[in-house]
Amino acid sequence: MSNIKTPSERARGLRDIYYMTLSTTDMEFPYWYNRKWKELDGEVTVVRRAMALKEAFSRITPNILPGEKLVMQKTYNYRGSFPMPWLSEGFFIAKEDDLFKEVENAANASADELSEFGQGGGNVTKSFGNVVSIAGKFGMRKEEIPVLVKIAKEWTNKSVEDLGRKYEQMVPNYQMKEDIMKTLICMFDSGYTLPQGREVINYYYPLQYGFDKLKEMAIECKSVVAGNAHGDGILGMERLYFYEAVIHIIEGLQNWIGNYANHAEELADKTQNETLKKEYTEISENLKWITHNQPRTFKEALQLSYALHIAVLNEDAISGLSIGRLGQVLYPWYEQDIAEGRITREEVLELMELYRIKITAIDCFASTGVVGGVLSGNTFNNLTLGGITKDGQAACNELEEIILESGVSCQTPQPTLSVLYDEKLPESFLLKASECTKTGSGYPAWMNNRVGIDFILDQYGEEGMDIREARSLAIGGCLETSPCCWKELTLNDKKYAVPGGAGQPTSVGVHFVSNPKILELVLTNGYDKRTDIQVFPPHNKELATYEELVETFSDYYKVAVDILAKTNNVQHDIWRKHNMSVVNSFMKPDCLDKGQHIGNMGYRYNATYNVESCGTITMVNSLAAMKKLVYDDKKYTLEELKNAILNNFGYKNALETGNYSMATQIKEDGITEWDKIHSDCINAPKYGNDDFYVDSILKDYEEWFCDMTREVESLFGKKMYPCQISVSTHGAQGAATLASADGRLSGTTFSDGSMSACPGTDKKGPYAIFNSATVWDHSRSQNSQLNLKLHPSAIVGAKGTRSLLDLTRAYMRKGGFHVQYNVLDSNTLIDAQSKPDNYRDLMVRVAGFTQYWCEIGKPIQDEVIARTEYEGV
Amino acid sequence: MNIKHNDCLHFSNIDAAKGICRLTGNIVEIDSDACASYDKKAKCKFCKNFTEESTDGIGTCVGLKVNDWVYGELNAVTCSSYEEK
Repeated sequence: MSNIKTPSERARGLRDIYYMTLSTTDMEFPYWYNRKWKELDGEVTVVRRAMALKEAFSRITPNILPGEKLVMQKTYNYRGSFPMPWLSEGFFIAKEDDLFKEVENAANASADELSEFGQGGGNVTKSFGNVVSIAGKFGMRKEEIPVLVKIAKEWTNKSVEDLGRKYEQMVPNYQMKEDIMKTLICMFDSGYTLPQGREVINYYYPLQYGFDKLKEMAIECKSVVAGNAHGDGILGMERLYFYEAVIHIIEGLQNWIGNYANHAEELADKTQNETLKKEYTEISENLKWITHNQPRTFKEALQLSYALHIAVLNEDAISGLSIGRLGQVLYPWYEQDIAEGRITREEVLELMELYRIKITAIDCFASTGVVGGVLSGNTFNNLTLGGITKDGQAACNELEEIILESGVSCQTPQPTLSVLYDEKLPESFLLKASECTKTGSGYPAWMNNRVGIDFILDQYGEEGMDIREARSLAIGGCLETSPCCWKELTLNDKKYAVPGGAGQPTSVGVHFVSNPKILELVLTNGYDKRTDIQVFPPHNKELATYEELVETFSDYYKVAVDILAKTNNVQHDIWRKHNMSVVNSFMKPDCLDKGQHIGNMGYRYNATYNVESCGTITMVNSLAAMKKLVYDDKKYTLEELKNAILNNFGYKNALETGNYSMATQIKEDGITEWDKIHSDCINAPKYGNDDFYVDSILKDYEEWFCDMTREVESLFGKKMYPCQISVSTHGAQGAATLASADGRLSGTTFSDGSMSACPGTDKKGPYAIFNSATVWDHSRSQNSQLNLKLHPSAIVGAKGTRSLLDLTRAYMRKGGFHVQYNVLDSNTLIDAQSKPDNYRDLMVRVAGFTQYWCEIGKPIQDEVIARTEYEGV
Repeated sequence: MNIKHNDCLHFSNIDAAKGICRLTGNIVEIDSDACASYDKKAKCKFCKNFTEESTDGIGTCVGLKVNDWVYGELNAVTCSSYEEK
């Protein structure tokens, strides 16, 4: 395997089409959903929702592109998505409607203003011709704009967003929550923006039973539970409605797949091309079969799993619906097809290349602040490899090797790949994965299987998780350790234990609390200079000691998390009552067994809500600088340091210069007053150099954070936990934050991830970072995130591959949870920033995901360029 | 009525601006004129049950169980009540 491998001609052709495809949104699905919903006024909500979804799925116009073998997509467009006004109707009609002023004043306006999309690739950043740019990314046909506005108006005061806002305002001190959002201390509300996601899907039931059998089972269950509470006076009766909803949703999915089967048949009838005719006929026959039955072949199983994935994504605004351990889920069909000669290894490789293109084409329609500022346009459909089996043996297989190969031969951002690193995995597999990482694709990322198992056992033990079940874990979203389970799959009388998701979303809870911003407000007595808002009550403390400084930081942090957790609990409660999942619910254990949907805790594991942080290392370095310069050495007073920060150390704001990394900032003319203090701040101890002076601050913070988050309660009455990834929020939240005591200037990005060093501050190489990063117990957190940038010359040839694996292994053995690599030359990125048209296919690893360079906003581009580049490992 | 490429049955949508002509295999712009091989695709604007169209392209659908507003550009290839005008 090498980086000069190329995709099959078919895959290359379809990927070329993707390269020129615009991100497109349309109103077909929303129209039919909305029309049916209105018609069913008065129906039980879960049934009403299932029937509205059924109508919409049944009405999607099928569209198979010439050359496709793996078919279906979210809409009739190749890279399509659609708005869901029933979830959130405000922002996308802002410019079309009288709601503009209300939306402008809404709390998420700041996130929108400070988020940037890349200007290239498929992003429709400007309107043209009959195509209107919406939310800075999506193109919609001009003639559909009145439809969008009309439907949005019909959901005003009824959407999850509006209802949630109505009730969250009843939480005491609600104004503080609004202020926290406006000042970007917190990045977004998950309840109505992305209510599901960063979880692992489960394809098991349709793969095992087929739709007809599942429908029969639901009908049978209905007759058992109808009129029976079975000892549960609150939820017992709910089961009848859930099973009724499941029947409707299955019928909707059958109609959708069946329409595609008919479309393929029509195309076969019409085409004069005999090759195409044969392909369309096979597609039609396969689709007709899986509309009703358990798949017979690998091709059918892959097609069904992909269709199910899209089906879940069409029921809600979801980011990070991870595929899970697909190579292990589909292995039964692979193994039997290969043994029987029904398919060749080369055919499977091509199918997995086509799969990559289809998954890359998945878009999620949401606001600019969420899609741009948080997601960088990515939807994080992560595919997990490796790990161990139920009985503790290496779980990788030949199909997983092909998945790795397809990631090399057909490089696309999605699905991104994650290896659950375990000492049990064979060296050959690990080297193959390292080869893939080496190509510069940014994947696979490497996660520590044993650390993940420890976390899963600790967090879900109260819900019955044990060691055997914990071994089924997979990565949801970028790198969210997610609870899964094993199910027994039977294919031609042979039994297999297959893993799949069994937990609630982990995209939910308190999301992206800006650590440096809270520290800033400690210095400003709770006042935000950028927006002129007194966010927190003034603490009026002198902050005479370092301990008092840290204590005040902790107090403000807890106040913020408390109000955000409560308001988000209200939002999610509205969501589960009015917009509950039906598709995802029926697929994921144990909803079908319990007869309860996600909102009624039908899933096996429900303690998934979390508190997510951003800018950890910027905060740690800032505390270290203050400790050193103000409290220990007493070189400056806190007031002097604060003045320097308020004056941005004599530099222009990054938003003014348009450059967002520290490498490219511009000084105010003639101002030298803060040069010395700035120099001292920059030279203060920095994380990533194996220096316990600063690393101990990280250790203390992590121990506090991991305890504090577990004191927060989700709406399901479960303890929360930390999630420590930045995705792209370190760009937008950095833009909203003044200079910091570590020498970082106002408006520049924070350190990425949670364990990455600030660019340029790690002077002693990656092994020193490993020592710094592992001063705390990573299994106390859902994740940690470490990004490293390596120059390709550092890992040339087979020896380089081995060095890369050794590097990864060293971190894993120290107890680090996650490491991922950008293997590229920074000069290439600099050139690509100035000539994006020459680099349509250039991909980089951002923070848990790979994305096309040209589709990333400039703040994150600047940050990736500035990251320390290692020329030797 | 101005006939566009996405009014044609042989048009496979790619995005809001373009698609593939199944007959030629070429990429074509939606807003360019359809050719002589044009074959009408089922859309609400071509349906007998689409009435009272206003200037913004929105009219009334009288073909289903409950009448409701609808827009003329909506595809009707999956609608069992579609009747060509």
